[in-house]
Amino acid sequence: MSTGADPVVAITGAASGIGAATAALFSRQGWRTAGLDLRPSTTDLSMTCDVTDAAAVRSAIDAAAGRFGGIDAAVTAAGYYEEGIDVCDITRAQWDSMLQVILGGTVNTCAAVLPHMIARQSGTIIAISSELALGGSATDLHYVAAKGAVLGLVKSLAAELAATPIRLNVVAPGPTDTPLLAPDSLWRKPGYLATLPLGRLVRPGEVAATVYYLATEGRAYCGEVLSPNAGAVI
Amino acid sequence: MTAVNGRPVAFVTGAAQGLGHATALRLAADGFAVAVNDISDDGRLAALASQIGGLAVPGDIADPDAVTAMARETAGHFGGVDVLVANAAAMEMGPFLTQDPRTWWRQVEVNLSGHFRLIQAVVPHMRAAGGGRIVLIASGWGVIGHPNATAYAASKAGLIALAKGLGRELAPQGILANAIAPSYIDTEQLGVDAADAGITLDEMRQRYRELIPTGQLATAPDIAAAVAFLAGPGGSAFVGQVLQPGGGVTRTRA
Repeated sequence: MSTGADPVVAITGAASGIGAATAALFSRQGWRTAGLDLRPSTTDLSMTCDVTDAAAVRSAIDAAAGRFGGIDAAVTAAGYYEEGIDVCDITRAQWDSMLQVILGGTVNTCAAVLPHMIARQSGTIIAISSELALGGSATDLHYVAAKGAVLGLVKSLAAELAATPIRLNVVAPGPTDTPLLAPDSLWRKPGYLATLPLGRLVRPGEVAATVYYLATEGRAYCGEVLSPNAGAVI
Repeated sequence: MTAVNGRPVAFVTGAAQGLGHATALRLAADGFAVAVNDISDDGRLAALASQIGGLAVPGDIADPDAVTAMARETAGHFGGVDVLVANAAAMEMGPFLTQDPRTWWRQVEVNLSGHFRLIQAVVPHMRAAGGGRIVLIASGWGVIGHPNATAYAASKAGLIALAKGLGRELAPQGILANAIAPSYIDTEQLGVDAADAGITLDEMRQRYRELIPTGQLATAPDIAAAVAFLAGPGGSAFVGQVLQPGGGVTRTRA
């Protein structure tokens, strides 16, 4: 890490679920944390920010880099989920919003963070996708398409930056026990969980541990997808 | 998990050198009691076992009787086996059409069948302890293939399928099986490759770097870290996965 002091991580969607678990784990490990979320997050630098707003993301990332002297790792966890919608019933607004948050948010974060990393020739970006992007799904096509687009984005950015020391990879969790999954979600039903080799939802801390491993010992991964998914997609 | 003075037990095959050696060191540093295997002990295995306070269990993975004996000795010594790292491997390069069937079967026996039997020998101990981890060291060549390495690639692809099948079959019992498919690693094997190719070690390194998108050879500790992740608390949601810390060599796979 090149900041000299404790390393720095910027996390989008840091106020809840996987983002919050990631912030908590990095913090416990001595990292300084910057959180970007619509709501305040439990981080060293909590910034309310809409990831669909490129200028706002840029300002927030610049503020974090200025405050901490650089950014060693960025984690794009901002997102939301909608299920149970047939393809013909997904409205234009639902489609656009999902793409803007998940794909656009990841693009905006990468675009804001990479100049700092390129300037220091150091850093790693870890994008949160989903096992649904690998295995496909039904009645949540806008979410799956957006998460799939994240795979293409990160793999291509990883290839583009392969000759630099900057690494980009993806974590594609299985259904995870976060507030994104409604209490009556299909993915919480015993009949579905019984189809998983592990027989249970993934825990946010398990996704965070995967992110942390990539950030700290993942120098040999370039454009890869790591899947803490309880066996949902093998 | 089994406890040897509070430490879980790991069994690493092919540990005399290279990434097996690095893996044994890493797991020991992470708090495991470690049994280390290689085909024979020329002194390096005993030295490693001594260094990490572990147990040397030399023997040929391709020999079913030896496999039974080493599993029994490890479980007897430590009281169980919680983690198996299947790393021992045989590789012999050559054109497919003229390959001697004996070289084919040797690679399949060591890399795939030998570990299949070793897994059969250790899983009852994992079951008895209520769970365990199996980490199969496959190869990037088992993912994308490689000319003149068809037997090796096939055996390693078999290990990947074995990890997926075992993952599905054993996860309900708390035993998590996964694979790691490294690509070009800076280990003693590079010297063998260089000798085969009739070039210097540095020339070999450079030739491999040109095949890697990042231009960086992975190190044995990089791969050992992947093993430690899958074998440790962070790997508890991984089932039947194939980690590919190869600098992007396999990135273009379908």
